[in-house]
Amino acid sequence: MAQSANDRRRINGPEESFPPVFDDDDEDMKLKTQRSRAPGDIRPIFLQPGLISQANGSAYIETEKTKIACAVYGPRQSKTTTYSEKGRLNVEVKFTPFSCTRRRAPMRDAEDRSIGVSIHQAIVSSIRLELFPKSTIDVFITIIENDGIEGCIASGSLAASTALADAGIEMLGLVASCSAAIVGDDIQLDPSEAEARASSGTLILACMPALDSITSIWQSGQMSAELSLKCMEQCHERCIDIHSIVAQSLLEHRRSN
Amino acid sequence: MASDILLPGQSVSLPRGPAPKLGGGLYSKDGQVRASLVGVAQYEGSSLVISRVRSHPPAANSVVLGTVTRLSPLQAIISISVVDGVPLPAGEEFNGVIRTQDVRATEKDKVKIGDCFRGGDVVKGVVISLGDARSYYITTARNDLGVIFATSEAGASMDPVSWQEMRCPKTGRIEKRKCAKPETL
Repeated sequence: MAQSANDRRRINGPEESFPPVFDDDDEDMKLKTQRSRAPGDIRPIFLQPGLISQANGSAYIETEKTKIACAVYGPRQSKTTTYSEKGRLNVEVKFTPFSCTRRRAPMRDAEDRSIGVSIHQAIVSSIRLELFPKSTIDVFITIIENDGIEGCIASGSLAASTALADAGIEMLGLVASCSAAIVGDDIQLDPSEAEARASSGTLILACMPALDSITSIWQSGQMSAELSLKCMEQCHERCIDIHSIVAQSLLEHRRSN
Repeated sequence: MASDILLPGQSVSLPRGPAPKLGGGLYSKDGQVRASLVGVAQYEGSSLVISRVRSHPPAANSVVLGTVTRLSPLQAIISISVVDGVPLPAGEEFNGVIRTQDVRATEKDKVKIGDCFRGGDVVKGVVISLGDARSYYITTARNDLGVIFATSEAGASMDPVSWQEMRCPKTGRIEKRKCAKPETL
């Protein structure tokens, strides 16, 4: 992939590009960091399964400025030559070039991969991989608009789990995920990019509310043990609400078909 | 209650009495039966299942349809395109292998792969094992298994004459195949 910097099949934009600077930009930034909702509230979620027709299963999720499409293919035969009793889950994350404030080159970099690993971690233990020997399940996640890595991982896990359910892949339960940030001494749930930047530490929790079990916790930055426990508790509570959104969207989709 | 759509992880309330056998789409954890697919739980015989129409990878005893892609003296390579009556999406075929000893039930040591299959034949078989990393092992050692569609050298689709021969309707020539006997006959 090293040569794809000079990919001639693509229209390569300028190497460096900057968003236009407006006079009231400083004021704008201040407004952005101020939260319009209560610390315990999350952004409204729009979730639609079955949007991509050629995929086995798919989902589209939108939480204000985070927009993610997810497609699930397979189970298909593994290309690797080693025999495995269990199936493999393959998660690939891609950013669209226009997803961030700065243009993103259409290449895989460290950030996509770390998001892919976190989403993989969040959903892998929910799938009954023992039923898919020698097979691979491919999950492709396209981030259409990005508003904070934490939100992307949480919404991406949610979309992936919904798409897997839509694809008819056997799972132990639906995965819901929620993020939190420590700003000052407050816990703010579902932080946007600006809020996450202003925070001292963040935490992402993924769980299966139906089974009351946690699939992954991802913490970064600085956070006292007490606060991180509190974060987990609040995220877990919110995940139960998110789970009902997933359940509702899947039921509606199923009834309409 | 029975017609309610279940979601993965949702617990299934069972009637009192002996617990039913759990089929596909359901699992039991900590003594609680839960769904693992989106769908409606129904009884199929004595077992409770959530049926799925989506394709799934072959398992042992799956009935598969596939095309012969390659022949060697020891085995025929099959590209599996239908599993248990459900077609797989295009480009997501599984590889299968019919070894000489799995072609027919009798006179296994006299089997010549070239006299049983040709490239492009559509074969009905049963998966006997998950096989190795590359392919599933398939058998045609049953009356109702074998070649179900084949074209002759002249390009016409052939009619079966016996369990080892097919005739070309254009030229009248006989070609050798391990034919499947349709179940309705």
